[in-house]
Amino acid sequence: MRPFDYGDEEIGEVEILFIVASYMIAIGVLTLPRQLASTTAFSDGWVSLLIAGSISTFFTWITAKLAARFPNESLFTFASSICSKPIAIVIMLWFTAHYVTITAYETRVIAIIAKQYLFDQTPIEIIALLFLMVVVYAVSGTRVGIIRLNILFLPIILVIAILLMLLDIQYFETKNLTPVFTTNWEGYWNGVKESVFALSGFSGLLFYMKFVKRPKKAPKFAIYGVFIPLGLYLLLYLMAIGVFNADTTSTLVYPTVELAKEAEVPGGFLGRFESLFFTIWIMAIFNTTSLAYDVALLAVYSLFQKVKKITIIFTLTPIIYLIAMFPQDLTEVDKLSKYMDVSIAGLLIFLPSVLLLLAKVRGIKGID
Amino acid sequence: MVRNPFFKKNRQKNKLRKQERDDFSNELFTEIDANLLNIKKLLDEPSDLIIREFKIGNTDHRCAVVYLAGLTDKMLINTHIIKNIQNALEESENESYRAIDLINQLHNKVLSVGKVEIAISLDKVSNALLSGDTVLIVNGIDHVITIESKEWKDRAIEEPTSEALIRGPRDGFVENIQTNIVLIRRRIRDSNLRIKSYQIGRRSKKDIVVAYIDGIVNPQIVKVVNQRLRSIDLDDAQESGFIEEWIEDNFLSPFPQLSHTERPDKVSADLMQGKVAILLDGTPFVLIAPFTFGNSLQSPEDHYERWIVASLLRILRYIGAFIAVFLPSLYIALVSFHPGLIPSKLAFSIAASREGVPFPAYMEAFLMELTMELLREAGIRLPKPIGQTIGIVGGLVIGEAAVAAGIVSPIMVIIVAVTAVSSFSMPSYSTAFTLRILRFGFMGTAALFGLYGIILGYIMVNIHLVNLKSFGVPYSTPFAPGFSQDWKDLIFRAPITALSKRPEYLQTEDTERIGMTKGRETP
Repeated sequence: MRPFDYGDEEIGEVEILFIVASYMIAIGVLTLPRQLASTTAFSDGWVSLLIAGSISTFFTWITAKLAARFPNESLFTFASSICSKPIAIVIMLWFTAHYVTITAYETRVIAIIAKQYLFDQTPIEIIALLFLMVVVYAVSGTRVGIIRLNILFLPIILVIAILLMLLDIQYFETKNLTPVFTTNWEGYWNGVKESVFALSGFSGLLFYMKFVKRPKKAPKFAIYGVFIPLGLYLLLYLMAIGVFNADTTSTLVYPTVELAKEAEVPGGFLGRFESLFFTIWIMAIFNTTSLAYDVALLAVYSLFQKVKKITIIFTLTPIIYLIAMFPQDLTEVDKLSKYMDVSIAGLLIFLPSVLLLLAKVRGIKGID
Repeated sequence: MVRNPFFKKNRQKNKLRKQERDDFSNELFTEIDANLLNIKKLLDEPSDLIIREFKIGNTDHRCAVVYLAGLTDKMLINTHIIKNIQNALEESENESYRAIDLINQLHNKVLSVGKVEIAISLDKVSNALLSGDTVLIVNGIDHVITIESKEWKDRAIEEPTSEALIRGPRDGFVENIQTNIVLIRRRIRDSNLRIKSYQIGRRSKKDIVVAYIDGIVNPQIVKVVNQRLRSIDLDDAQESGFIEEWIEDNFLSPFPQLSHTERPDKVSADLMQGKVAILLDGTPFVLIAPFTFGNSLQSPEDHYERWIVASLLRILRYIGAFIAVFLPSLYIALVSFHPGLIPSKLAFSIAASREGVPFPAYMEAFLMELTMELLREAGIRLPKPIGQTIGIVGGLVIGEAAVAAGIVSPIMVIIVAVTAVSSFSMPSYSTAFTLRILRFGFMGTAALFGLYGIILGYIMVNIHLVNLKSFGVPYSTPFAPGFSQDWKDLIFRAPITALSKRPEYLQTEDTERIGMTKGRETP
């Protein structure tokens, strides 16, 4: 009898690619060109981007490698065996706090942008609550459902991003890009720091790897997953610089949305492309948020294995909502993202490399 | 399967009721009179119950032929049962038959009918009678012979009205399950075509048949279908809709999880793909499981037309589905929330046409859509010749008058009309229903939150779809989980020669569709 399975309990390696890519494509796309333009001169931001990208690629590989070392084991079990249970608990708490905050942050930013570009009268609390409710609906379904949503949405998102660039190509001026390599080292370094948030990789892989069918192949596909957003960021950044020039870009809050504003849809059906672009982009941010929430759930679940999923969701959701509503204005939201940069760097660089190193040194391996 | 808890209570009550009814035993007696009396009592001597008593051949053994007039073939009973029995078995002085030998003799030599069975309980007897068989009771034996003699008036095979095609076979299923099985068998001369039958309905005892091709279909699907069919405990299933609702995965979902069709060609094509068909006696609608979202926009005609035409038509249908779901809600969102999104020229003409309309855009849209749905429903209920008139008259007159009276804008009428036409282009009626439900949902979210509401609604529909299953097959496949082989026959329809594999998402046992030895001959 032929096996009848659709990978409902398992994740294929192509799905790893989709997860990593859709997790990384989020708010960063909208703001990154500004952050890069304000730290580097002319079009030199691509150097920073590439450096940040290779850092991210390398540590995503480390992350995947670490998790692939322990096939079919959850992060909590192998972290406990590497560095004692109490430390594993601390790691879990860190993950929970981090991904709960990410969920809250994404929710808040989507509410801010939606208010700015879609409607100005509806209170931000309602907009955020609606979004969070949809995310809750997604995470209370099956885990494989969330991954399938990523597979369904990512192509739409990439198509709309490419469409945006194609529509803007008529405004692109190559003279805005030159001269090259005029930025000093500090500028490049600051650019790298700015890009880390957008190119953070996906430390949640440590949790998902437990469900991966063929863990040996996963690191390769995780890296491909990083390449997609990296390429997209590079193109969008160069596009923004080419269309607006570096000085203007550094003053625009959401340069990518402004790019969409410039775009003109032939045929005269749509007056402004940016609302449509942003509407589709909600799907991208939804993907990131639901993945982040799901990782938070997995982290909590590994600590309290007897608690029902729905109970965890009902406990976490109000907390997320409160965190999302906590910052008073845009500057405070930015401050929140600055704090999270540290945590991201820790989860991307510090944690996986230390765990992998310890595992290698102490010779701990998973059961194959 | 999700089942309501209150079903259980009902079941217990029904058990009690049955026990009260069983005041006489289920046994058969050796005495012919006792048996006849019991049958009469069981059915309460209906006027169409015919009991014909006579003697076998020239012997002294009494026997009786019992049947229900109208359900049976009188010619067959007269010439092949009664006549044969009366003329048979010469009994001489020196040899006399025992009753038990008699039955064997009748079975072996006398009854010239194909399907003859022995029944040993009163239940079986009544079941046979009620399904149109003839019962032969012989005195002195405590079991009886049932002889198949079903015949009644049937509708002739006609063109299916609910699924019309320009090109394709013209025959459709009828209410008789035997005819329907024949229609499938005539198309698939494969020894592996399996026809498994059940009886369902605690009172109506209807025949239900599961058909599939062994060696193609994944056994897991057949297992699940059989399991769920066995769990059915209804008094009667008048239509396959009862079955559908009982065995579907999620009865709260607006999406159909089984397809139904009147077309034998569609059933045979689906069986060849590795699906399972469920036929119910008394309805021309055959259920096909599993069903996924990708199937909902496919028509059998896609495979009869040339592939370029078919591909273009399919894309057209996808556009149609998009319009049918989103157009009114996009209108509401753009006009009431984001007028800036509309190009200025178009915005002016919309604004000008909405001049003097007393309602906000969403009220206008709801009113018109509601009228449209009413017209559609009224058109179905009315007798056919009037039905078409009401559609045209109602649509034109109401639309025209509403615009003239300044209640709705002409743009709104255009939108409602385009939406209606798009939803008529859906190949499956149940999918069209789903799209109608979704349309109203999206109109609601658009009225409240504009584009933001629409996209959140869209995400929610997707969340529902990825969590939904049809007999173990994910509803969103082959989009996600992706089966790239199957994309050849999804939005596009690749040339037949390129469709060399059976759908991968059905995980069939035999995957090859085209023999690999001989390619297509090109001159």
